[in-house]
Amino acid sequence: MTHAIRIEAVSKVYPLGNTEVKALKNINLVIEEGEFTTIAGPSGCGKSTMLNLIGCMDTPSTGEVYIDERPISKLSDKDLTRLRLEKLGFIFQSFNLIPVLTVYQNIEFPLLIHGGFSAAERTKIIDRLIAEVGLKDQARQKSNELSGGQRQRVAIARALVTSPRIVLADEPTANLDSNTGEKIINLMKEINITHKTTFIFSTHDPQVMKHAGRIIRLKDGEVVES
Amino acid sequence: MISLEMVKLIMQVAFRNLWLYRIKTIVIGTLLGFGSFLAVVGLSLLQDVQGSMRESIIGSIAGHLQIYSDKAKDDLALFGGGFMGRADIGELSDIVPYRDLVMQNSNVSAFVPMGMDMSILGRGNEMDDKLDALRAALKSGDSDLIKSRVEQMRFQLDQLKLEASEQRKLVADKTEIDKNEAQIAKAEAPGFLDSLSIHDESKLQFLETKIAPLSGEKTPIYLAYLGTDIELFTKNFPKFKVVEGESLPPGQRGILISHKVREDQLKVVVAKLFDRLHKRTGKGGVAIKGDAENERNAGDLGRQFSAIISSVNRQQATDLSQKLKDLGLDGGEKSDDLITHLTNQLKEFLSVDDQNFAQRYDWFYKNIAPLMKLYEISPGETIALRAYTRSGYIKSLPLKVYGVFSFAGFEDSDLSGQTNIIDLVSFRELYGKMTEASQQELTDMRSQVGVKQVDASNAEDALFGESSQTELETRSLEAKKDAPVSQPLSIKPSIPSNFSLDEITRGLALNAAVKLKDPSKIESTRKELEQTLKEKGFEVRVIDWKQASGIVGQFANIVTLVLLFAIGVIFLVALVIINNSIIIGTLNRIREIGTMRAIGAQKSFVVGLFLAETGITGLIGSLAGAGLATVLLLVLATVGIPAPNDVVAFLFSGPRLYPALRWGLIIGAPLIVTLIATISSIYAARHAAHVQPAEAMQEKE
Repeated sequence: MTHAIRIEAVSKVYPLGNTEVKALKNINLVIEEGEFTTIAGPSGCGKSTMLNLIGCMDTPSTGEVYIDERPISKLSDKDLTRLRLEKLGFIFQSFNLIPVLTVYQNIEFPLLIHGGFSAAERTKIIDRLIAEVGLKDQARQKSNELSGGQRQRVAIARALVTSPRIVLADEPTANLDSNTGEKIINLMKEINITHKTTFIFSTHDPQVMKHAGRIIRLKDGEVVES
Repeated sequence: MISLEMVKLIMQVAFRNLWLYRIKTIVIGTLLGFGSFLAVVGLSLLQDVQGSMRESIIGSIAGHLQIYSDKAKDDLALFGGGFMGRADIGELSDIVPYRDLVMQNSNVSAFVPMGMDMSILGRGNEMDDKLDALRAALKSGDSDLIKSRVEQMRFQLDQLKLEASEQRKLVADKTEIDKNEAQIAKAEAPGFLDSLSIHDESKLQFLETKIAPLSGEKTPIYLAYLGTDIELFTKNFPKFKVVEGESLPPGQRGILISHKVREDQLKVVVAKLFDRLHKRTGKGGVAIKGDAENERNAGDLGRQFSAIISSVNRQQATDLSQKLKDLGLDGGEKSDDLITHLTNQLKEFLSVDDQNFAQRYDWFYKNIAPLMKLYEISPGETIALRAYTRSGYIKSLPLKVYGVFSFAGFEDSDLSGQTNIIDLVSFRELYGKMTEASQQELTDMRSQVGVKQVDASNAEDALFGESSQTELETRSLEAKKDAPVSQPLSIKPSIPSNFSLDEITRGLALNAAVKLKDPSKIESTRKELEQTLKEKGFEVRVIDWKQASGIVGQFANIVTLVLLFAIGVIFLVALVIINNSIIIGTLNRIREIGTMRAIGAQKSFVVGLFLAETGITGLIGSLAGAGLATVLLLVLATVGIPAPNDVVAFLFSGPRLYPALRWGLIIGAPLIVTLIATISSIYAARHAAHVQPAEAMQEKE
């Protein structure tokens, strides 16, 4: 069985003025396929840096990150972008939908960028996902006409539309009330079970944390619990 | 790779962003629209002007091509090269071989020989004109006419006396004035003028030699003229039209005066000043008060009373004085002397202001102008032209004025009106080439006085060498014997008023206009002609009408440059604003761009999105601009653009320009504007594409 994500001796150093900030210090971590993992820790612990590295939006200063056993540190921007498109899905704290587009079009967006799907294929995939996240009646609505919870459902559908192996969620419930947040986490969990999609999300809400199958705690750039 | 859906997606997002930042969109769109508007209107009008200028220049004197000698020191400039004077453009010593070669070209329809030069117009003085009239009257023996002319002469004397007494007040040395007054007194004395009823040469000579010089010589006028074959010219230059009198009859010596030259240089000053003020206050809409030019002209007008006085005889003066009195102008303090009184009245009449000008102008042309000789030269008269020939001596030639002409469409233009037209034979003579008649005359004179023509290069040998058969001493004695010095030569130096028509089909010209059958092939024909003439050993320059017209032809090019520069500046401003707004706009849209990048959009997608935004703005803005331009051009095409001044009238080739709609330009200009705007925003778009995907994660604080 291949590892979904393997992090080997990864450090990340950011320049800050004349000094350097060590955001991550010699991290070694493996996340298996199908895990439902949360990365937890206080602000400035390296959570974001970790998600950026896993999300192929940044490369490590030393060490290597393997996505599906593929090392990312040597990849070009173009290849990283392609990797994100094909292997990863993203859910953001502020949903980050494109306001002018309808629910349907927002979900379709990655498929269009990906290319190679016929209109019929796209409709099939999107309709199934819309049903799955419970937005059948809102499919033709503009995304900025939806509530926060509904928006995050759209974001989840968008993250899943290219059938990625891994979905990264950055504080997915932070902008939602606890009831809605709960429902979102449950939805993610459901998908995790039915699709075997690996979920990695960051949070500092203990209520959310308890849904996780595994908690990776970071402190000062180091893993203190995994 | 790029699917239709993707394009749709980009467009949808682009439109949303344009709407979201609509102020910025409107600013950029308006700028590009303005640029496109300016490009369509400007370039369209420019092409119209070029077209009409082309028509003016080709149809007046230039033709399509001009041929002149390669030995020319100056460039041929038919409408002036920017400085006055006689340009040295060399000469074509005999037009026959040139014409034969040029006419062989299948695209050539006509070859019109020409030459431009200028001469001094002999003008004499006011008194001379009156004396001529008096002489004519005496010759006719018509006693009433003589009486009137004598009266006129007396009137002139009165004025000279008045002038002399005025001068006395100003001049320190009175001896000259004493002498002048004595001469006038002699002429006025009983038994001189009053008894002049038959031709009395001694009296006339006294008046001509002693009195006439007192009224002073008029300043000389330089008349520029074009010598040509009038038949060919009329046929090939459709803009040419005779507006008064008749055209030059073929085979006759003579001159046609340009309407503009006549108005500007040969019209009596008082009328000219009235005209200028009328034009500037009426059509120009400039008030007299407060305008330097108008005030100067009005001031000058006030001093023109003497010109009117000297044109009228006593009866006319009395009538005019009465009419002015009826008009309410009684010249202030009453004077018993008619001339003094009329002078005061005229002074009053000629002091014009904004209130009375229009009325005075009409009154002048109704009551005063008919009494005056308005133009110095009119059809039917004969003028004397005096030229410095190329060889340096002065040649004088009388020429009959047949008519007045102008070039249709630019009658009033300064640029086109400087040239009068004379026959080619007279032109050659003033230029310094002998006509066949003059040459014959010279041969006859030579044979009669026994002069032998000797070439300068072997003069010494011919006259004094061994082989010389002439004995100078003997010859001169013989000559004396044959033709006594006391007797005048039996050959009268006369200039025939006509010439044989084939004299202008050969011989000298300075340049030649070439008209083409197909004007679109102007450049290829120009090269062909140049080639043909060079091959046969003729050293000539063949230039197109644009070059031949001198500074005027360059005008369109200059205007084009200025216009393109203006459009360029607008563009530059628009492009800087576009780039800036994209870069600043990127800051507002970092998260959006980051999100797109995070979920898999390549940099090229982001670049495409920004280019689409500029492209859409540009297209809508510039199409709107071009649309407005089209509406404006449509309106102008019906009402026409009035030419505000003479120079513009020349460019317009008429008083109004009716622009044509050029669809290529109306559609092409906005597309090019859009394309340039889009391409130039690539830099800023790439800048936007550099937003890191991780920015999607950043939360607004």
